Amino acid sequence: MPEEYVKFDLTDMKNFEYDMKRCVRCKGCKWVDHIYMPGATYSTRCPSEKRYLFDSFSAWGRLRLALSLLNGRIEFNDRFVEAIYKCQLCGACDAGCKRNLDLEIGSALESLRIKCVADGFGPMPEHKAIAEKIEKEHNVFGGPADNRDKWAKGIQTDDKAEFVYFVGCYGSYKMQGIPKATANILKATGQSFKIMGSDEYCCGYPLYSTGQIEKAKKVAQHNIDTIAKSGAKTVITACAECYKTLKVDYPKMFNKSTSDMGYQVIHLVEFVADQMEKGTIKFKNNIDMRVTYHDACNLARMSEPWVYWEGKRKLYGITEPTAPRRKGTHGVYHQPRNILKAIPGIDYVDMIRIRENAWCCGAGGGVAEAFPEFAQWSAEERLEEVDEVGAAALITACPRCKDNFSKAINASGDNIKVMDIAEMINEAIK
Amino acid sequence: MGIPQEAYKAMEDIVGSQYITDDQVIAQAYVGRLGHGKDTGIDLDMNVPPAVIVLPRTTKEVQGILKIAHRYKINYVPASSFWISHCAPKRPDSLLLDLKRMNDLEIDEENMCAICGPGVIFSQLQEEAIKRGMYTTTPGGGSQVSVVANHINWGLSPLNYRNGVPGRRVLGGEWVLPDGELLRIGSMSTTDDPFWGEGPGPDLRGLLRGWIGWFGAMGVVTKLAVKLLPFHDEGLKPVGISPHTTLQFPEKKRIRWYNFVMPTRESLVECMYDIGKAEIAAALTKVPQQWRYIAKAGCREDFWEGWNTDEARNSINNIHICRVMLVGYASEEQLEYEERVLMDIMDSYGAKLGRTRQSDNSWIKNADSATMWMMTGAYTSVQVTVDTVDCGVKGGEGLAREKPAFTPPLMDDYGEPGWFQVSEIGHMGYIEFLQYWDPNPDQENLYKKDEWNYIKVPTLDAEWGMFNAFNIYASPMNLTGKAYGPECRKWFEKVKAEFDPDKLSNDPIPWDVDEYVDKVDWVNKEDYINRDWSKG
Amino acid sequence: MDLKNELQKIVGAGNVLDSPEILEEYSTDNGIYPPGMPTVVVKAGKSEDVAKVINLANKNSTPVIPVSSGVHFQGCTIPYQGGIVLDLSNLNKILEIDPPNRRVRIEPGVTWGQITDELAKENIRVISPLLPHADRSVITDYLEREAPVVPKYEFAEPLMTYEIVWPNGEVFRTGSASVPGYPDSPAKGTNPAGPGLDFYRLPQGAQGTMGVINWANLKLEYLPKINKIFFMPFEDINAAIEPIYKIPRVHIGQEFFLLNHVDLALILAKQWPDDYDRLSDILPSWTLILTISGPPRRPEERIEYEKEALFDLKKQYFQDMPILEALPGVPGGGRELIHMLRKPWPKEEVYWKNRLSGACQSLFFIARPEDAPSFYEKVVDEAPKYGYPLEDLGVYLQPIEQSRVCHLEFNMFYDPDDPIEREKIRIMNRELAQDLLDMGAIFTRPYGDLADMVYEKATSYTTALKRVKKMFDPNNIMNPGRLCF
Repeated sequence: MPEEYVKFDLTDMKNFEYDMKRCVRCKGCKWVDHIYMPGATYSTRCPSEKRYLFDSFSAWGRLRLALSLLNGRIEFNDRFVEAIYKCQLCGACDAGCKRNLDLEIGSALESLRIKCVADGFGPMPEHKAIAEKIEKEHNVFGGPADNRDKWAKGIQTDDKAEFVYFVGCYGSYKMQGIPKATANILKATGQSFKIMGSDEYCCGYPLYSTGQIEKAKKVAQHNIDTIAKSGAKTVITACAECYKTLKVDYPKMFNKSTSDMGYQVIHLVEFVADQMEKGTIKFKNNIDMRVTYHDACNLARMSEPWVYWEGKRKLYGITEPTAPRRKGTHGVYHQPRNILKAIPGIDYVDMIRIRENAWCCGAGGGVAEAFPEFAQWSAEERLEEVDEVGAAALITACPRCKDNFSKAINASGDNIKVMDIAEMINEAIK
Repeated sequence: MGIPQEAYKAMEDIVGSQYITDDQVIAQAYVGRLGHGKDTGIDLDMNVPPAVIVLPRTTKEVQGILKIAHRYKINYVPASSFWISHCAPKRPDSLLLDLKRMNDLEIDEENMCAICGPGVIFSQLQEEAIKRGMYTTTPGGGSQVSVVANHINWGLSPLNYRNGVPGRRVLGGEWVLPDGELLRIGSMSTTDDPFWGEGPGPDLRGLLRGWIGWFGAMGVVTKLAVKLLPFHDEGLKPVGISPHTTLQFPEKKRIRWYNFVMPTRESLVECMYDIGKAEIAAALTKVPQQWRYIAKAGCREDFWEGWNTDEARNSINNIHICRVMLVGYASEEQLEYEERVLMDIMDSYGAKLGRTRQSDNSWIKNADSATMWMMTGAYTSVQVTVDTVDCGVKGGEGLAREKPAFTPPLMDDYGEPGWFQVSEIGHMGYIEFLQYWDPNPDQENLYKKDEWNYIKVPTLDAEWGMFNAFNIYASPMNLTGKAYGPECRKWFEKVKAEFDPDKLSNDPIPWDVDEYVDKVDWVNKEDYINRDWSKG
Repeated sequence: MDLKNELQKIVGAGNVLDSPEILEEYSTDNGIYPPGMPTVVVKAGKSEDVAKVINLANKNSTPVIPVSSGVHFQGCTIPYQGGIVLDLSNLNKILEIDPPNRRVRIEPGVTWGQITDELAKENIRVISPLLPHADRSVITDYLEREAPVVPKYEFAEPLMTYEIVWPNGEVFRTGSASVPGYPDSPAKGTNPAGPGLDFYRLPQGAQGTMGVINWANLKLEYLPKINKIFFMPFEDINAAIEPIYKIPRVHIGQEFFLLNHVDLALILAKQWPDDYDRLSDILPSWTLILTISGPPRRPEERIEYEKEALFDLKKQYFQDMPILEALPGVPGGGRELIHMLRKPWPKEEVYWKNRLSGACQSLFFIARPEDAPSFYEKVVDEAPKYGYPLEDLGVYLQPIEQSRVCHLEFNMFYDPDDPIEREKIRIMNRELAQDLLDMGAIFTRPYGDLADMVYEKATSYTTALKRVKKMFDPNNIMNPGRLCF
């Protein structure tokens, strides 16, 4: 009778061999949920497969490559590594698969990257360069670590606050309007908060997502310790990548569950939606604009809590105890939409592919750094969708998405406005 | 070894270097283990990675590729959605035509047809059709399967109840024959318009498709028009978040599901006949009990918790559910009329109307065929009979009696006689008999799942006089190919010899099972393969 | 031993006929094409004879021309290369009537006249083409793809499965009738597809070139007891097109078709020729005819909602279109059409297409309904050039598959005993067909003169057909010279 002992430990790809073997190639990882299938166009949700076409650039193809690697049929080479990294790890495949088969696609792909790095074939040179910057200055840009809280000059923080605001590298160094807006919003609701200043390191997403788990663990441990030292119980962030990394990847790296971390992670949109319910935030300004919202993968389908599991897999694949499955059902989907719809003057329209079916902006998983042309291509497809629904502005809740869309718009000369939702909320409450 | 460099270069010149590769890492992504037939003996023992993968865009490109393959004697495998194990290379040094780029879709609204490339899938077509007040029938193969490939294979769906099987809906198109020559079929034989299926004189759709097609062993269909069917224009609204997404029926009484608990299986069959004769309904089906448990389960473990109970065990013989969909194509009044007739019929059998959700998440637009693999990790349909309702039910019950000898390794489904339904408003019935197993090789007598699939079921069908032509492809030609027709295998051989004498188009299909069973030691060839079926 | 003796051994001396009178009888038909003399006529008495005759013919490379119907119009049974006329009219048994599974299994000699009465006893019917000749073979009509007069069923093809003797003499059963042991098997032969290939498609439209059917299963439908008929008159064919598209799309009605005043008058006239003269004057230029019928359960209620749906469509899309329950000026309002449509044309009456002049050449093809007016205009423009009076042009449009497409038919009437008129019609038929073909008409069964022009245009199809024909008929014995082989 078949029986094996497995665990959700991503440092050993064998833990996901079952998932690799049981993929039936139904391509639920590629297509938009068929119930929501919009027709002949905008029908897929995997940028990698659409851009590069060969199956090695799809989730089902990568699972077969991983299995072939495990079984010794192939070894890492340049084409293999390229296939691994030309993927945003956007989680569309994982949510798609879990509609039917509950396979751990996302974890298997992450595990493949970890092995690729461990065996000395990954990550891509650009990823290594970023890792060096993080190691040296604790941020992805290589800017002086001491400048991390420069944006906060004049902002009132409270060292005794229950909330610690995790700003992230993009907010700290490149898009300071976002943290400033975030701080204003918190202030407007009367919510005190503190920041970690130069003790805030890059969340580690660029490391973990590219398979550099050991380096990721170092910055993660530092941030976990700093949060713990701060005494804060709630980490608030306006960055979808930081959000998912702190909430999901940190426990994953240390074989823990989200609930074991000693802190709660919330995104600004969750906080604001909550304040709206309580009546502590008012949108006073009229913003006459037709807007749409882009679901950042890390805040949306990939944001459910991580639950560590180990146990037996028995006949028919039955797990004991029952393995938890993150299906993308409970992503942060409604809050940003409710916020935008509540702002006077806003004519809100959804794009064609939304929530768990959303098309990634293209930046994630190290793609923006290693394959910028691919990242831009993905953004352009999303911007076509914005045009399709006639929106003048694209709102997102992730600085990385904003950055990537902005680059694509600059390159194309499109006149779509891209805003972070913090900036929009800040405009509305002024 | 691969294919000759000159051939590769010639194909590269046709499609462009970004659409062809001979990289053996990429090739590993294409090795078998797909869809229907996954983890069967053929999939595990015969499927190999392709030597070269090419992604053509146009009919002309496909012609060019096939001509080169013909010149250099390269075995090639065309595949659209890769949903059946026949579409994986079984010969070394094969060329794989991945047709995903051939995804043009055009709707002829006035004349109710869709002109599709092989890369178009059902949910795409269904959405475009519904937007225009029409529909197609999403098949059991799933929403993700190729419209073209499925129409030229079998495409069974409860929605065929009113409209018949999709083979009826194949219209004009372009078919690149094995040697690369283009055959324009149907109305495309004399015009550029594919709206009609018949060409002049004998209908060559007879060679193109059938019960159940060639699976790429007779060239490549690069463009095909298929019929669409008139629906009403009340929208079906998608609601929910994955995995709980569904199409909400409109408030207006234009489409409704009804679930009836029938007192006996006999009454279930009889009411199906009566509903057909009354010319009402849009779908009429009896689903296997395990599917009901799947539908209720949140995950595999939930399913097994429900299934490992006396209630489930007893449900096979005690619970008989007839699921009926009514559609008011003309008006709400039509649906109300059909509802009255339905109730008359059901009352006469003492049926009880149960509760059901007024939405659809498994047939109209989405068909979760992948869920079939959820329970145990492996699944195939071993019998797919289309004849009368009565014939289907008898077949299912007969196979259910024989299956215990193969259980385990097959999953114990407590004698479930399978999935049956009605098509062509009662003129035909359809049974699909299913097998599930754990494909983990660490089990005793795992070969028995192949014996059941490839040998036992087709033999029983032939002995009983069941029409399981599905097994023309899932059993040895020397068994079913001899028995049916009789000797339909000879015609396969003749057609193949005429159009593909070098056997380049997806060899060894449809003789793959013959090759496989020749190698294994568990087949009694005297009893099965060498049997003279003319003697019954 | 000569051919005749061999044939006598198979079917008995009385069934091998070669007297000059008999041969002449089989040398022609009711159409425009010249005669061709057979060598011998063989009347098959049982289906086993068929394979034996074909095997013999193969040995001798003798042509075989299968004939099932008692009446022919398109020249496809005229033996232009001599040979054996294989007359199947004595294979006329209704082998099984299976009401639960709604199928009937019949031999090729069974005619519309025969089957309609037999099935009516059980309140069932095979949907027929428009008023077929009573002596026409049911199987032949559907092998030749006549369009059923009821377009409501998407699965309209009534032929399901059959036993066929391929031209090489092998006996084969198609679809689910291919199971071992058929017909004493659970499978009853209701699925046309398979085994493995759609063999059932190959003999269709083949004019007997792809083999001989021993028996076939056909679909049965209920014979409605309660009916209503509606007439929608138009002066311009263009106005009829939208109703033609829209009405069947809401799944209502049974018989549904469009006739011009000539064809409708030919059908409705009781006293010849007075009624015809009067009717062809008073009938509207075009009449769209729809029957609504009640099924066995709650028939009145069904008729009620279908009628309501029809009038809703009118209200929504074609308010100016009258919907009449009786044709003004027509005795009985033309309502007897309902009953006429469920039977073949009465045997005792001159066939409706032959009433006007003694014979009729039908030029027909498949088209999009929206293109019907331009095809009609073309014929109207061209016919006078051949001296054909437009007032005698019959037109019939039969929607197919819920009006997705249509069968469009032009009926040209002529005196069969006037060789010059017949030749004129032949020329007109051929040249009009060429014009219509150039305009995109789809000739799926090009008879006689039309064969060459259509097969020549269908280049790739014709090439493939020849390859297929060679597989099944290596000696080219079945009705040679007929299609493209």
